[in-house]
Amino acid sequence: MDRAVTLEAARVRPEADGTPAIEVRHLAHRYGSRSIYSDLSFSVPEGRVVALLGKNGVGKTTLIRLLMGYLRPVGGACRVLGEPSHNLSPATRARIGLLFEGHLAYDFMSIAEIERFYRPFYPRWRRELYYDLVDRLQLPYDHKIGNMSCGQRSQVVLGLIFAQDPDLMILDDYSMGLDAGYRRLFLDYLKRYLDQGDKTVFVTSHVVQDMESLVDDVIFLQRGGALMQMPLAEFRARFRSFGFRSEGGEPPRPDGVIEGVDLHGREHLLYSFATPERLAEHLARAWPGVRLGEERPMTLEDAFIGLTGKY
Amino acid sequence: MLRAMFLKEWLKLRWALLGLLLVHVAMLAYLFLSVRHQFQVEHSEMIWYWSFELRRLLYDQVMLLPALTGAVTAVAQFGPEMVGGRFRLSLHLPVRGDLLVWSWVAVGAGVGAVLAVLDAAGLYGIIALFFPREAAASAVLTALPWLLGGWVAYFGTTLVLLEPAMRQRVVYLMLGLAFLGLLYLQRGYQEYDRILPALAALSLLFVPAVILPAHRYRHRS
Repeated sequence: MDRAVTLEAARVRPEADGTPAIEVRHLAHRYGSRSIYSDLSFSVPEGRVVALLGKNGVGKTTLIRLLMGYLRPVGGACRVLGEPSHNLSPATRARIGLLFEGHLAYDFMSIAEIERFYRPFYPRWRRELYYDLVDRLQLPYDHKIGNMSCGQRSQVVLGLIFAQDPDLMILDDYSMGLDAGYRRLFLDYLKRYLDQGDKTVFVTSHVVQDMESLVDDVIFLQRGGALMQMPLAEFRARFRSFGFRSEGGEPPRPDGVIEGVDLHGREHLLYSFATPERLAEHLARAWPGVRLGEERPMTLEDAFIGLTGKY
Repeated sequence: MLRAMFLKEWLKLRWALLGLLLVHVAMLAYLFLSVRHQFQVEHSEMIWYWSFELRRLLYDQVMLLPALTGAVTAVAQFGPEMVGGRFRLSLHLPVRGDLLVWSWVAVGAGVGAVLAVLDAAGLYGIIALFFPREAAASAVLTALPWLLGGWVAYFGTTLVLLEPAMRQRVVYLMLGLAFLGLLYLQRGYQEYDRILPALAALSLLFVPAVILPAHRYRHRS
């Protein structure tokens, strides 16, 4: 069975009755002759925290750029807070907090200047949230952002997004360049902010492990645009890893029931959404030379690699 | 909101503006010293003969100053926006993109206008110190194409910096240079008097044109 079809079959939509904050329908995009997606569809319901996960080069940043209207899709449609993404009104943009890859900020401004600059644009501006975060840096307010470390800059940028009090946050690879401490601080503040409720977050990150305690749903994006979306809890409950031995014959390959096979480690592993009983039945029929071993505990990162592969 | 936009432009421009102001004052001082020096080493009749019979310009040292000012102002304003794709930050602000870009160029053109007025007033004052007022007025009229060159250099550089596509960037560069070349083609007294209104009207097309690269930047496909 085709792998894209397998993933499609495993797709579980989050609450169907939730109004989507982001809606992507039959999205197609390409750079020159290289197709990134040909028919991508998913939605992010309001009030959910959704992580977009995928290996390098699958088109995560391209998707963020499409959602924010910095690219015009070749086909299909993206709607953000009910408006076409390439034609967002200023009022809707005011409701979207956008973190650009690399914690992009105006380097020529100081801590105080950048707050003064952004404040008048946002009617719900919450100055105290910004200064609560940047005060922890213990830097003078006239300190230039261009002279900050990546971690310090991330706090300034996150503070600006919080102060904006957006309904939807789109965070493109917030973890880029951050050490474990700054990442944790970033997440702690984000969670505290989300505790206020009614906030939607669409986040991409290379640090899959961070998503474990943050997100409600995960979207796995694969090269070529195959996509799987489901609640994280369901993914963690259903996706399993097992040791195996091959007794002659070729090792198993992804086939619709088997999602991934790892032959690189000390122990050979296979990954599946199937229950152990169903998997054993499937192996006996399709891969008779394979002896299934014990189920192995997995972190979210293990599961991500099991699903998407190591390279 | 407008104050915030001006704040950002001020932060980007302040050091460039200070530098340009010093350069302009220094150039005007140099022009004054140069003309005075000529009067000290030559007879007044000879200078009159050079200036009004041979039609040699005594103040062409400031000819390229407005164009340099325009280019430096545009780089100071739009360089920081384009480095690392920071223009995206501005385009995400809850403001119409066209109004945003026009507010920026209004600030840049305003800065250029202030310096142009300084140049024109300085030139008039310096020439009026040594020649009749008619000659001073003629000097300002002669310098008008150079001042228009500042406008063209500013908008030409702005278009080149904002434009995301290399091909269009080259086209804008060529157009800007060709326009500047036209303004510096003649070097006599008031030789552009009759054509200058038409050239000035043509240069106004730059104002709507700056929206195009911003639009292309926003919706690259």
